Amino acid sequence: MSGAIVDLSKESVPEGITTEICIVGSGCGGATAAGLLAEAGHEVVVLEEGRDLVGAERNQRDSKMYDQLYMDRGGRATSDLSVSVLQGRVLGGGGVINACDVVPMPEPVLAHWAAKYGLEDFEPGHFGSFQKAALDDLSASRIPESLVNSANNKLRIGAEALGYHGEVMMHNRVGCQGLGTCLIGCPIHAKRNPRMVALPKAIAAGARVFTRARAVEIRQPGQELKELRVRTLDPLGYHEQEELMLRAKVVIVAANAIASAQLLLRSGIGNLQVGRNLMLQPQLPVIGFFKEEINAFQLVPQSYAVTEFEQEDNQDLGLWGYRIEGVMGTPGIVSTLLPFSGAEGMHEMTRYNRMAASLLLAPDQPSGHVEVGRGGRLIIEYAQRPDHQERLRQAVYNAARIYLAAGAAYVVVPTAPPLVIRTTADAEKAREITFAPATAPLLSAHQQGTVRMAPSERDGGADPDGKVYGTRDIYVFDSSGFPSSASSHTMTPIIAASRMLTTKLLTRI
Amino acid sequence: MTVPEGEENAREGLFSFLSRRRFLKASLVVGGALLGVAGGSLFILRGRAPNVDGLQALDAHEYQTLKSLVEIMFPRTDAIPIDVESMDLPRAFDEFLTGEPKHNVQDLKKALVLIEFGPLVFDRQVSTFSRLDPEARLAHWKSWAISDNLLRRQVSVAMRKFFNLVFFDHEAVWPFIGYPGPSLLRSRSVKQ
Repeated sequence: MSGAIVDLSKESVPEGITTEICIVGSGCGGATAAGLLAEAGHEVVVLEEGRDLVGAERNQRDSKMYDQLYMDRGGRATSDLSVSVLQGRVLGGGGVINACDVVPMPEPVLAHWAAKYGLEDFEPGHFGSFQKAALDDLSASRIPESLVNSANNKLRIGAEALGYHGEVMMHNRVGCQGLGTCLIGCPIHAKRNPRMVALPKAIAAGARVFTRARAVEIRQPGQELKELRVRTLDPLGYHEQEELMLRAKVVIVAANAIASAQLLLRSGIGNLQVGRNLMLQPQLPVIGFFKEEINAFQLVPQSYAVTEFEQEDNQDLGLWGYRIEGVMGTPGIVSTLLPFSGAEGMHEMTRYNRMAASLLLAPDQPSGHVEVGRGGRLIIEYAQRPDHQERLRQAVYNAARIYLAAGAAYVVVPTAPPLVIRTTADAEKAREITFAPATAPLLSAHQQGTVRMAPSERDGGADPDGKVYGTRDIYVFDSSGFPSSASSHTMTPIIAASRMLTTKLLTRI
Repeated sequence: MTVPEGEENAREGLFSFLSRRRFLKASLVVGGALLGVAGGSLFILRGRAPNVDGLQALDAHEYQTLKSLVEIMFPRTDAIPIDVESMDLPRAFDEFLTGEPKHNVQDLKKALVLIEFGPLVFDRQVSTFSRLDPEARLAHWKSWAISDNLLRRQVSVAMRKFFNLVFFDHEAVWPFIGYPGPSLLRSRSVKQ
C-alpha cells in the first residue's frame, strides 16, 4: 500500500479520520519515527504546518524562502527579541533549512545523561548503534575539499596560523553542486534529509502526510483513542481555514522543542515540567572583512570548524566547550545582522563579497521556558546565563584573532553599537560585550528541552521512553526530551534519539 | 493623636465645593480637555499625509512614517546609486502585514506611532519623525538601536530585519555588492 502527501490548503480530507498513529511534525524526529513505524506495518498519519516546497520553487531568494520555509516567516524570536529562533516550517522540517552539519553527540555527554539524568538508554555503548544508524540515514561523509568555501578557508588559514585545531566538517549532502544557499533550501535536493530519506520510506509503506495542517489541540489524553483538533491553512500558510478532527491511538509529538511544548500546553497536557528547561544554544555571528574578494556566497557555506576550544568546560555540566564555525548567507539575511544604518550600512554591504563570517556555538544550560498566552499566542522566555555570555566573549576574542591572523582588514562583532576590531589588542574589546537584550543578533538553530525526559515525574515532563507523564500513549520524539544540551548540532542526535525511542515503542504496540 | 472630628472636616472643607462625584467629573473634563489639546497638537504636528492608493493594512500616515524611515536607512550613495523610493518598501511591508496575525499587526502599528512621535517623546523635539530633515532623522533613528529603552531597541531590530532583508534581496542592489544572484539562475544542470 502506498501513502501520499496531501496538501490540505488545496484538497479536503474525509471527516473523522481515525488512524493508529498520528505524528505531529515531519522533521528529523517525526519523519524518522514515521519511516520506521510505517515500514513495520503500522498505520501512520503525519501532520505538517509547512508545505512540500521542492525543486525550483526553492528559488534561493531571501524574501520568499524565509517566509515559506521558516516558522513565523523567519520572524520567530524570544519575547524580548534577543534571540532569533530559527525553526523549519516545511515538509522535512529543520533538515530542509539547516547547514547539513553532521555532529554526533559526544560520548561524555551521553554518559552524563545516563549517569546524572538516569537515561540509561543513552549510555554510549547502547546509544552508539542508533547514532551509527542515524549517520547511515544521513549518508554522512566529510565535506570534500573542493566544496569548502572561501570564507571557511579564511577561518582555517587563521586557525592554522595560530596553531589551533580545526576540521573540515561532516555533512549529509550527496551530489552537491555548491549552489551555496543551504540555509534557504537546496533546489537540487542534495541534502539527504528527512524529506529525501525517511519520508519517502514512510509514504512507500503507506503513511499519509498532510501538509498545511496545524495541530492545535490534543483531547482525551488518558483515553485509548485521542482526538486531535487540526486546522488547515491557506496555501501560503498565513491564516487558518477549516477545522477537522482526527483520532489516533498513539500520538507522537515531534514538532521541535518550541512547538511540541506549545501543543501540549495548549492542550493542558502534562505536568508542570512541560514548557520548562528550554535551551536555545544561542549563536553569535562574527564577520571578518577582507581586502580581496572572497565570494563566499558559493560552495558549502558551513564547512570548517575550529574545534580547539571544544573541551574547555567541565563535563559534569554536560557541556562541550565552544566551536567557531564558518558560515555565509545570501545578502538579505547577512544584511539583517549588520548593525549599521544609513550610508554607513550601505557602505559595509558593498563589501558583501569580501566578508567571511562565522557563528560561535556554545552549548547552554536550561535557562528559559515556553508558555502559551491569550488566544494560544506563543511566548518564548529566555535569559542568557552569565557563564554562556562569558564563553561567547571568549569565542569572539578568539574568532577575531583568527580572522586577523588570516589577513582580515578588520572584524565586526554586530552588536549595537558595533564592535570593530582592527588589531589583536582590539580583540580585548570582546570583554565589553554586555549582551543586553536586543543588542546582539543571537541566533538559535538548536532548540532543546521543554519536555525533558526523566525517570521520575518530579524531574521531567516525559519518561525515558518519551511518553508524556499523565497520558496514555502520547510521546515526544524530538529534542524536547533532551535533559541537557546535546552539545552539538542537533540533527544527528534527534534522528538517533527518535530511532531509539521508536524502536522501543515498536516492542509495545 | 487622633485628629478631632471637626478639624478633619475643616480641612476637607477647603475643597468642599467639590464633592467626590463633582471632583471626578471635573477631573475628567479637565483631563479630557488636556488630552484633546495634546491630541490636537500631535495631530497638527503630524500634519496630513498624502493619500496612498491600494493599501491593505497600513493607513496613509503609517505609510508616510515608513517612507521616511527607509529613506534614511537606504540613502542613495555613490556606492549603491539606487533610489529606494522606486522599490516602494512601505508597500512591501503593507503586503507583509496582510499575512500576519491580528495581534502582530496591532503591535507593529503601535511601533509606527512610536517611531513617528519618537522625536517628541524621547528627544523632546517639537517635530515628528517624518518632518525631521534626513540628517536629524538618521541620528534620531540610530539612537533607537543603542537606547536604554528595551522597547526602542526591539523596534529598531524588527524594522532592520524586515527592510534590510527585502532591500538587499532586490536584484537591483546585487551588482553594487558583488553578488551575482542566485546560483540556480547561473547553473545549467538544475534537477526539477
